[in-house]
Amino acid sequence: MLNLRSLVRAGTILVLCVYTAFAAGPFVWAATLSLRTTSEIALDHFALPGILHWEKFPAAWYGSNYHVYFGNSLFVVLTAVAVVTVAGAMAAHCFARYRFRLNRVVYFAIFSTIIFPPQITILALYQILVQYGLYNSLVGLALVYVAIQLPLTVYILESFFARIPSDLFDAARMDGYSEWEIFWRVSLPIAFPAIATTVILNTILLWNEFLYAVVLITDDNNRTLPLGIQRFMGDQLEDVGMIATGLMIAIVPVILVYAFFSEKLIQGMTAGAVK
Amino acid sequence: MQPPSPPHHPGERQPWGAITAFLLPALLLYAGFTCYPVLRTWWNSFHKVLPRRPDEFLGLANYEALLLQDDIFWRAVKNTLTWASISPLVEVSLGLLLALALYAKIPGARLFRIAWFTPVLMSYVVVGILWVWIYNFDWGAANAILRAVGLKSLAHAWLGDPKVALPSLVFITSWMWTGFNMVVLLAALHSLPSEVLEAAELDNCGWGRKLVFVIVPLVKPTILNLIVLSFIGKMKIFDLVWITTKGGPLWATETVSTYLYKRAFEWTSFDLGYPSTIATVWFVIVLGSVLLLSWAFRQRQKLEY
Repeated sequence: MLNLRSLVRAGTILVLCVYTAFAAGPFVWAATLSLRTTSEIALDHFALPGILHWEKFPAAWYGSNYHVYFGNSLFVVLTAVAVVTVAGAMAAHCFARYRFRLNRVVYFAIFSTIIFPPQITILALYQILVQYGLYNSLVGLALVYVAIQLPLTVYILESFFARIPSDLFDAARMDGYSEWEIFWRVSLPIAFPAIATTVILNTILLWNEFLYAVVLITDDNNRTLPLGIQRFMGDQLEDVGMIATGLMIAIVPVILVYAFFSEKLIQGMTAGAVK
Repeated sequence: MQPPSPPHHPGERQPWGAITAFLLPALLLYAGFTCYPVLRTWWNSFHKVLPRRPDEFLGLANYEALLLQDDIFWRAVKNTLTWASISPLVEVSLGLLLALALYAKIPGARLFRIAWFTPVLMSYVVVGILWVWIYNFDWGAANAILRAVGLKSLAHAWLGDPKVALPSLVFITSWMWTGFNMVVLLAALHSLPSEVLEAAELDNCGWGRKLVFVIVPLVKPTILNLIVLSFIGKMKIFDLVWITTKGGPLWATETVSTYLYKRAFEWTSFDLGYPSTIATVWFVIVLGSVLLLSWAFRQRQKLEY
């Protein structure tokens, strides 16, 4: 009986290990390819790197314009995340804190756009940005990013703000805090964990964003990282080694963020799915 | 996903100035970048919209052409709906099995959990390129493994053969999202009262019965949420297809999103009216099916309790 139990247990662990190899394998493979030259790869696609060709990273960084794409992504993502966090937190605080007519209606109107397919806005957004000279501009793209992440940010923050006991606000008010100070000095510090969750979540989602970028950006110097990789893939279809290096440049920041904030990130991604 | 009701302060005077100030930035963004574009897309769908020319009113002509004559559109709808109905089932059931395995206190559970969640954090561009290589006929990992275990006859040009291209892409999304579903279900399992599971243990019912009669009913709300989330995600899918197949071969992997993009920016008609019609029709289909799904799930919940 005991033997059967441990046998089942060993079998389970084996299955889990196989699945782990399946889930992580492609990234490990990409990592090995990124350190090998294409001619080495052509001999054997699955060999481990013999000589580590670290020089491929600066080559991709400067030679294939990756430093520009990386900088653009960084600018767009940081701007958009900063704006969406402030605007989203203000709105969420308002929905959770004040009782006014239409509170739930407005909240639901914003929240429900989470399920909208992006196609319903993207063509008109393209027209609007062209009209106002924001087409092909990083500022325009950042504004659009703020708008698409707003519902999720408001949703996560509102559910957190709503749990702050209102006695705290009444006490702050008695101490003579203004409405703005209550938000800035009471709500925000308490909600810091939730704010951190939305910041990390929005950063990852926008770092990976492709559809809006491909419609709204065409100039090579304004491309974000996903667009840059796609262009590079199209130009250098055969140069597997170099493309892999480019992929790693996009993967590594995400892995780093994940390594430091894995719990926060998982919390954010799964918020709302657990009922 | 019911929002909690706002705090109630009877008789309190509301500071409308503060409320307006707090809501203004979000409302402006919402009005300018969501409401207005939706309305404009809807308006465009009745027009021929060419650059630097006044829009020409067409009435329902775009809708007629799309719904009655556009075979590629219906092919794309069929592909997308197939994708959106298979994926949730695969991802959620596999995710549940993996979550149960981890729930049974396996050593290293934390590491497993972190590793399995990784694919979902990567952009579809990165994932797409990786899988184009994995599916490569000559040197891809998929065929290499098949050849290594003596199943050479099963080797395919996975993304080049119209018969297997769509299933191959569905496989990629399942690879990506199963870990996500697993983590969510694991959280749901951990939030269950442990007495229930212990009671089932004492009653000595086997794992299979415990799964079907105890665990699944208890985490059902989470499962249904995950199904809806996965469904919505697949109805929107664009990036992965665009990187791997661009809808080919022979429209085998064309989704509504890729078709709309092609009609708007790749076909040389330069007309934004017709693609707006696609967007409007698709919007109605997505919204309708999500509402239908949640309604159907609620009905079933009611019947059981």
